[in-house]
Amino acid sequence: MDRIDDIEGAILRNRSVLPGYFLASIRLRRPMAGTRPGQFIMLKVPSAEVFLRRPFSVYDYGKSVLSILYRVAGIGTSALAAAGRGEKVMVLGPLGNGFTQLPGHAPVLVAGGIGIAGIHFLWTKVKKRSTLFWGCTTSSEAALLRKIMSHGPHISTIDGSLGCTGNVVDLLGQHISEMKRPLQVFACGPEAMFPALRDLLAGERMPCQVLVEERMACGLGICFGCVRKTVDEIEPYKRVCKEGPVFDLWQISL
Amino acid sequence: MADLSVNLFGKTLRNPVMNASGTLGYGTEIEPLWRVDTLGAYVSKGLSFVPHHGNPPPRLWEEKSALINSVGLQNIGLERFFKEAFPLFRERQTPVIINFFGFTEEDYVRCAGAIRADELIVALEINLSCPNIKEGGICLGKRAEGVFSIIRKVKAVTGLPLIAKLTPEVTDVVEIARAAFEAGAEGITVFNTFPAAAVDVERMSLPIRGGLSGPFLKSMALRAVADITSAVPVPVIGTGGVMDDRDALAFLMAGATAVQVGTATFVDPYAIPKIIRGIDAYMNGHAIGRLNQIIGRSRAQDRAV
Repeated sequence: MDRIDDIEGAILRNRSVLPGYFLASIRLRRPMAGTRPGQFIMLKVPSAEVFLRRPFSVYDYGKSVLSILYRVAGIGTSALAAAGRGEKVMVLGPLGNGFTQLPGHAPVLVAGGIGIAGIHFLWTKVKKRSTLFWGCTTSSEAALLRKIMSHGPHISTIDGSLGCTGNVVDLLGQHISEMKRPLQVFACGPEAMFPALRDLLAGERMPCQVLVEERMACGLGICFGCVRKTVDEIEPYKRVCKEGPVFDLWQISL
Repeated sequence: MADLSVNLFGKTLRNPVMNASGTLGYGTEIEPLWRVDTLGAYVSKGLSFVPHHGNPPPRLWEEKSALINSVGLQNIGLERFFKEAFPLFRERQTPVIINFFGFTEEDYVRCAGAIRADELIVALEINLSCPNIKEGGICLGKRAEGVFSIIRKVKAVTGLPLIAKLTPEVTDVVEIARAAFEAGAEGITVFNTFPAAAVDVERMSLPIRGGLSGPFLKSMALRAVADITSAVPVPVIGTGGVMDDRDALAFLMAGATAVQVGTATFVDPYAIPKIIRGIDAYMNGHAIGRLNQIIGRSRAQDRAV
């Protein structure tokens, strides 16, 4: 059984990297158990207004410092965005299953918008031998992470202001036929990405793991609130926090 | 160390704190954080005779200090529960209360009749809040006659003690509790979640209808515990809004023999062990040696009803 800890942390940095997008670093009082890319944490946001914890993908983790990248979307992320240096939070994790790499397969990383938050930690581990595709709405969104841009990822923007015009699956489609097999795709992004990926990859039935999002209450698998429908006929609803958040693209119902 | 043990239907529980059904999965999920034998008893996720898929997402909605859930009783069914989940409680020697439900009276009876007695099974807890598909989706628990009828039928097929878990959505909860008692229920749990809905104002949609839980329930559940324990001579398990040790103590002092903790565990996964330690600390601080010196204590000055 993998260890899970609930650890107090203090916010080191919490800065807006773009209007509406924040990157927060949290120093934990003691190290969290070994964290795999694709796993997440449940964060107790420092605000009495926010009742439940909130799930965040691990954007980066090392030396007891945890980073999360988030878009302000509701009361939880709004309250978190307002939190300053030194404020105390509780971090429960690491949670969920994380990505599993197939030996010998070159990783193809595909992120749609803020989906980069779920892909980044994997990218830090495999960047030399992987190809990153990142689709954004505008070039300002892609400016989000200069560090990634310096590695020359394939970029697309919906408005055409940077890279190819279109979404990230279109972009992937332009390159994938020339890439050396065997490949394994890792994807995170808006729901519409998943059927598009399936259409693109169905011919080869390429191995593809997707990181999905769902509202959560516990993060531990005890409430059965965050399910995703799968093709399993016996137990179609799988817990995103426990059996996920990473699922085989070919197993989820779209 | 104070003695926190309580006797329930002839079995000794090491403390009066349980999880509320459906808020601690199958038990195994919490073990990376704390062992299930921390609990006075584990209350199973609501079980049906055959596995049940539950509701499609979204199943959750947060409100101010409250949670609406529409899980829809997803469960692996009795047979798999005993095969896959129960061995943990055997290994940990943890008493178990089996919560069960049905969509028809026949479902309930078939389920209860299939549960064999075991030294670890303290009781069955019947979920009376679930929609009865033969009566147009109205739940049995809303009417005293419905409660009386189903409990009679279930008692006819099981020798295990039966706890009736009541819905709050009734005109007079004491009348319902009395009907459960008269039909043969040996205990009462009050109560289940409140029916609720959420509106997404940005999308102008109504994304969820479900059961509302959270700390606001405490005062209403306390009232039900105090009223039922005054009127019906069976042990009452209090649940609803127990967030910390003082909430749990309030339920015990109102007359509850035990308390169930639900939503609090989602906010703080260590809520249950903290509550148990807090009760112990309170008893030590007040030089109270045994838990039965607390149970119903507030009612000595009860001028009520």
